[in-house]
Amino acid sequence: MTLLVEGISTGYGETQVLYDVSLRTEDRSLTVMVGPNGAGKSTTLRTITGLQRVWRGRVGFDGNDITSLPAFARVELGMASAPEGRRLFPLLTTEGNLRLGAYCRRARDSAEDSLSQVYSLFPKLKERRSIKAGRLSGGEQQMAAIGRALMSKPTLLILDEPSLGIAPILIKEIFETVKELEKGGLSILMVEQNAYQALKYADYAYILQMGRVLRSGTPSELKNVEELRKAYFSIV
Amino acid sequence: MVALAVILSDLLFGMMLGCVFAVVAHGLNLIWGVVKVVNIAHGEFIMLGAYGAYFLNVFGGFNPLLSAVVDGALGIFVGYAFYFSFLHRELRGKERITLRSEMVTLVSTFGLSLFMSNLAVVAFTGDFVGINWSPGTVALGFLELPLGALYVTILAVLIISTSVVFLDRTYIGNAIKAYSQDITATQLVGANPTKVASLATALGFSITMAGGALLTVWIPTGINPYMGALYAPISFVIVVLGGPGKMLGSLLGGLTLGVVIDVLQAFVPVSLAYAVAFLLLIPVLLFRPEGIVK
Ligand SMILES: Nc1ncnc2c1ncn2[C@@H]1O[C@H](COP(=O)(O)OP(=O)(O)OP(=O)(O)O)[C@@H](O)[C@H]1O
Ligand SMILES: [Mg+2]
Repeated sequence: MTLLVEGISTGYGETQVLYDVSLRTEDRSLTVMVGPNGAGKSTTLRTITGLQRVWRGRVGFDGNDITSLPAFARVELGMASAPEGRRLFPLLTTEGNLRLGAYCRRARDSAEDSLSQVYSLFPKLKERRSIKAGRLSGGEQQMAAIGRALMSKPTLLILDEPSLGIAPILIKEIFETVKELEKGGLSILMVEQNAYQALKYADYAYILQMGRVLRSGTPSELKNVEELRKAYFSIV
Repeated sequence: MVALAVILSDLLFGMMLGCVFAVVAHGLNLIWGVVKVVNIAHGEFIMLGAYGAYFLNVFGGFNPLLSAVVDGALGIFVGYAFYFSFLHRELRGKERITLRSEMVTLVSTFGLSLFMSNLAVVAFTGDFVGINWSPGTVALGFLELPLGALYVTILAVLIISTSVVFLDRTYIGNAIKAYSQDITATQLVGANPTKVASLATALGFSITMAGGALLTVWIPTGINPYMGALYAPISFVIVVLGGPGKMLGSLLGGLTLGVVIDVLQAFVPVSLAYAVAFLLLIPVLLFRPEGIVK
């Protein structure tokens, strides 16, 4: 078990967004969280990566309580993320972005090795290495964001909607790469709008709705779940 | 032939002066570009650097080059003190620097500016002082170059290029650039935002105060409590010319302003030369608001 989120509640200003959310990830597994717009998926990830303070509940990582650890310190423990909107540094080159991914002490010495691993995973990035990240296409930016996260040699990789704004043929490629990373030994937590496609790759999944975990289970348990359909349509 | 010599020497002197301007502007640029603080008290820290060089000369016999090094070291401490007393409360935990915190720091550094220049009158008196340092001249064709100004130019270029290399080539330097673009993402790659922002501020002050020491060579009798009122605007114009946050922009902006001022001085009184040079800002802001550097 790598990540253990227990009963977190949080929000923005006075507005509560998450209500008692619990979830966990296992070693070498792909955990997917789906849910409609505004359900609180990104907010959940923000509490896990440390950008968002929790009101109640705790976050555990590899047996440590990290609830009040600042975001930058969590990276040193082996957590890395490609956040919502990718958040690359637009004025740095693609390679500059990747290299910064190896900022933490643990990763610096092997930065060159990690870089060539990322390039072999995403050959496109090697071609575009000296282009400013702000000028990459949506798909390339997503690869760079995942690559930057991998540069820190994480044990837990957190991805927020990697398929967003990407050409449909590329989506499959991204999901397949994610699956490959899992086989390589990573624990992955992935948020996706693209529920049906993402569930094909998941080992375990959570459905989030209006800030609450509605159901969780293996994809086959959830496949025919009425709630999955409802979760998507009840909001609109 | 004579006219050509005059133009060439104006150009050369303008470029040398511009390099020193570029240093003080570079200090401002780092703080403005990275922590988005428009430091109104910038000129007063130039003044502090200049007085530092003056007293080091009077009591220690230091020349301005040595004083620039000492000022630079002191500037690190001054910068950290400034960060943690003026900026930390505003920036801590922020994912973006809001307009509100920019206003808060603007007003508080304005207060600091008034406090420092008035305190300087009490501490240093209002008299104009200068440093006596003349290491001789060197003949360059038909030009006589003062060696003092030449050394200062070399040190100025060295300071700017070292800081550019530091920002480009080191992890922490890269993190400073990253912070100026996206504070949240900087944390997500594992960099401590407080460490990064305070270091950038410390470097900015170090360079500003070292620049104040270098400037004394160009103003042999002009160190005074209100000198900031001239050199702060010069720095602001240079940063805008070069483009805020663009580190090589300081050098290019400084060279431009130095040459313009020096050439203008051949035709109009000195004070008017500065006034006209500041006018440069208007077309630049109108046509290239991102600065002359691409
Ligand atoms: N910075 C913020 N300030 C105020 N409210 C916010 C902020 N970010 C998100 N919210 C609100 O919190 C709720 C949950 O948002 P969140 O981004 O976590 O949802 P999400 O499930 O990731 O949605 P999406 O699929 O659109 O990315 C929404 O109602 C949103 O409006
Ligand atoms: Mg989201």
